[in-house]
Amino acid sequence: MEDSNKKEQSGSTHKIGIYLWIWGLLFVLSFFSYLVDWYQFQGMLRWSLILFFMFLKAGLIMAFFMHLYWERYALVNVLLWPMTAIVCFICLMIAEGKYTLFSRLFYFFVGG
Amino acid sequence: MSDEYENKSGYQAQSSETIHAQSSEAITGGGSGITPDMDYVRPAELPEQDLYHPHSFIEKWVFCQDAKVIGVQYFLTAVFTGVVGLILSWLMRLQLGFPGLAGFITAEHYYQFVTMHGMIMVVYFLTALFLGGFGNYLIPLMVGARDMVFPYVNMLSFWMFFVAVVVLMASFFVPGGPTGAGWTLYPPQTILEGTPGHGWGILLMLISLSLFVIGFTMGGLNYMITILQARTRGMTLMRMPLTVWGIFTATVLAMLAFPALLVSSIMMTLDKLLGTSFFMPTILKAGEVLEYGGGSPILFQHLFWFFGHPEVYIVALPAFGIVSDLISVHARKNIFGYRMMVWAIVGIGALSFFVWAHHMYVSGMNPWFGFFFASTTLIIAVPTAMKVYNWILTLWRGNIRINTVMLWCLGFIVTFVNGGITGIFLGNVSVDVPLSDTYFVVAHFHMVMGIAPLMVIMGAIYHWFPLVAGKMLDEKLGKWHFWITFLGAYSIYFPMHYLGFIGVPRRYYEMYDSPYMTSGVGLNEFISTAAFIVGAAQLFLVFNIIKTMKTGKKAEQNPWKANSLEWYTSTVPPEHGNFGDRLPVVHRWPYDYNVPGAEQDYLPQTAAPSEVAHTEVEKT
Amino acid sequence: MSDPKIEGFELEKGFKGMAQDTGSDQTMFKGVHWGKAMMWIFLLSDTFVFSCFLIAYMKGRASTPEEWPNPSEVFALDAFGVPVPLLLIALMTFVLITSSGTMALAVKYGYERNRKMCGYLILATALGGLTFVGMQAYEWSKLIHEGVRPWENPFGAAQFGSFFFMITGFHGTHVSIGVIFLFIYCYKVFAGHYDEGKRGWFTKMKGDYVEVEILGLYWHFVDLVWVFIFAFFYLW
Repeated sequence: MEDSNKKEQSGSTHKIGIYLWIWGLLFVLSFFSYLVDWYQFQGMLRWSLILFFMFLKAGLIMAFFMHLYWERYALVNVLLWPMTAIVCFICLMIAEGKYTLFSRLFYFFVGG
Repeated sequence: MSDEYENKSGYQAQSSETIHAQSSEAITGGGSGITPDMDYVRPAELPEQDLYHPHSFIEKWVFCQDAKVIGVQYFLTAVFTGVVGLILSWLMRLQLGFPGLAGFITAEHYYQFVTMHGMIMVVYFLTALFLGGFGNYLIPLMVGARDMVFPYVNMLSFWMFFVAVVVLMASFFVPGGPTGAGWTLYPPQTILEGTPGHGWGILLMLISLSLFVIGFTMGGLNYMITILQARTRGMTLMRMPLTVWGIFTATVLAMLAFPALLVSSIMMTLDKLLGTSFFMPTILKAGEVLEYGGGSPILFQHLFWFFGHPEVYIVALPAFGIVSDLISVHARKNIFGYRMMVWAIVGIGALSFFVWAHHMYVSGMNPWFGFFFASTTLIIAVPTAMKVYNWILTLWRGNIRINTVMLWCLGFIVTFVNGGITGIFLGNVSVDVPLSDTYFVVAHFHMVMGIAPLMVIMGAIYHWFPLVAGKMLDEKLGKWHFWITFLGAYSIYFPMHYLGFIGVPRRYYEMYDSPYMTSGVGLNEFISTAAFIVGAAQLFLVFNIIKTMKTGKKAEQNPWKANSLEWYTSTVPPEHGNFGDRLPVVHRWPYDYNVPGAEQDYLPQTAAPSEVAHTEVEKT
Repeated sequence: MSDPKIEGFELEKGFKGMAQDTGSDQTMFKGVHWGKAMMWIFLLSDTFVFSCFLIAYMKGRASTPEEWPNPSEVFALDAFGVPVPLLLIALMTFVLITSSGTMALAVKYGYERNRKMCGYLILATALGGLTFVGMQAYEWSKLIHEGVRPWENPFGAAQFGSFFFMITGFHGTHVSIGVIFLFIYCYKVFAGHYDEGKRGWFTKMKGDYVEVEILGLYWHFVDLVWVFIFAFFYLW
């Protein structure tokens, strides 16, 4: 099917440098998130650092390795909007998890 | 090798050469004295799809890559499972209406019938029928494509579904029988002793569901990419028939909702097989603590309904879309508020991911969730109500033809409104709590996602049968079929609301001497009798099809004078490749009926503006 | 990547471009290969699968009253007699990111129709994936040796073992499927199937280097999921 315009396409690929840069960045970020564990940060600091590095890495992989940064905006939107359902699911399950723990402790250990 | 792929018209996909436009006036001939520009349609972006034409009987009818044949295969398989589901419902009604009359139905059997009836009807019948059956047949025809974009994957999709059905049916014959845990399969009782089919039955059910999800994913990718990337020239998204919009949105929902079902199936399979405790809390049984412990049953409910609620709309949205088209064609009037209808479909689809826990008000979840889910549930009623208004306004002052198809559509509107209103009862927490697990709920969901979509399916069969088989179904038999089904269905489900109000619980094998039954006995007998009659009345359709195939009159090219592309194929029924030498070029939406100034009361989507320059047609 | 240009269609930036795309006829993603669009939508669906797994894990972990094992001790590895936390996991991450990088380069060389480089890079990616699966097998056997089972574990809540084996197992299955396809594509690239547009064995579709990009998307997705598993399973 869409195998037209192949010739024009060659040469329009991205420079090799950008991939190497992202590659290096991913190693550095992975190393940092490893350091979070190494130094045994705890509490909110650990949480926010883990999430920060995680989203940064995920963003870099999506944007550059998967070329989402260069893709058309329609595709980006189609891919990212459904995530709101997942975000909603996560938020509600956080509340639900806490409530389940509460009711377990309340009814089984405290005795109601 | 290359002759296998030759296109009929001989324009093989040329690589490394820009595709040049055939401007549309070259095709339509153009109007004299009118600016040729007004007929301009952007040139083709893609080369012709190269189709693999079958060489043998098996490639043509069994492992076929033609979406139309796959659609019929899906349809027939789904109808087969539907008949099984219907027989199960008869057996249930036999027990409920006349307890003890059929001695072979034990309580265990009854639970198994309930479970299998629910699962078969929701997943294997309605979902497969609408998306697999109608989707495969209609999408390529309606958007003007030669076939689905990945015909081979499409074939795999059907056969995966077929295997899923075989596995499901096999569970009737394994030791212990099929699972009897209710179609929602709530743990922990689903996989514990005491529930019928807790061994092989539930295992086969879970495997079958997983296979169904995998098979459906392959099909769903096809539907989505065909609609997004393989439309014909001039076919914008806002010129697609609402049928395609409904099927498309339902497919999107399915692609995003079925993962939750897959995940919960896998986790429950592990609970069953490996003894993990994802969903299994600590359980005391006959004074002994079981090996399970620490799991969360409510997690399963969340996962299941995160799939389960979109599933309701996976069934409903294609029905909405199809009925819009049928009403417009048979009322000879454009659909009222087309864009509103599209956005309503999309809006319902998006919202359906945020309402799932309204099925769980009495489950013991976080009590604050009631606020959130009651609000979102009532919000989703807004686009739904908009659609109902638009159907009625489409009918208003239309040139309505009261034929069988229209009767089914009217029946749909009535049953859907009925079921929708009871839905508002159940969406509110305080009203839902006393009504939970009563026959009111059974009446509600059968009205809204059982009978209503079924009415659309029947209407669609009468509408598109001339296209698929080339013969017109008999009107007289069709009307008998409709009236018995419609009145009978009301006789079944309307009294159930009353049973629910007096508190009769659902899923009970027998009411014995409970106080509910003083006024309910006669009603139950009445409901059961009606159920037997409605089920048997479906034989009208079978008989009608047999009679039509033998002696029916041959259908003309476009018997309903419709506008959408499926009626403008090169042959009836359409052959592989659908449109002969040239793909159609689309100039308008499919709802130009009774345009002032036009010679006929309909303008096909392919009619160029220059041909109808003297009419008062609006630009769409 | 750069999709083929469509004659007479200039894409504008941002929302305007999106409106152009959605409002036009024939295709919504102009010039995007059917298979590539399909892979994106499939990955979206697969994202929901993994999200559901991880949400279930979160809910399960948040609601257990028992002690949750400390991952940095459970997954520690002795290096020269000193226990180093998460050593194996760090190596696995390193290997997977490396293979993702080689895959990205393979896609680039594929589009430049550099058959040799593309093939070798795909081979490197496949070997990286194989190493990853091997390391995961080692990790599993080590944990099983220590007494961790899907239904119990000596360190605390039983759900730890259940979720761990299920989710890493599901991810490992994805990696293994990817490795199989990488080897197949490696063969096809070296054999020149994409240069001459040879038909696929089953699908009978014409081969093209865009298939390398499609496989690349899948492989990067596997890497992406690992980023989340790494954060939620090993660091949290």
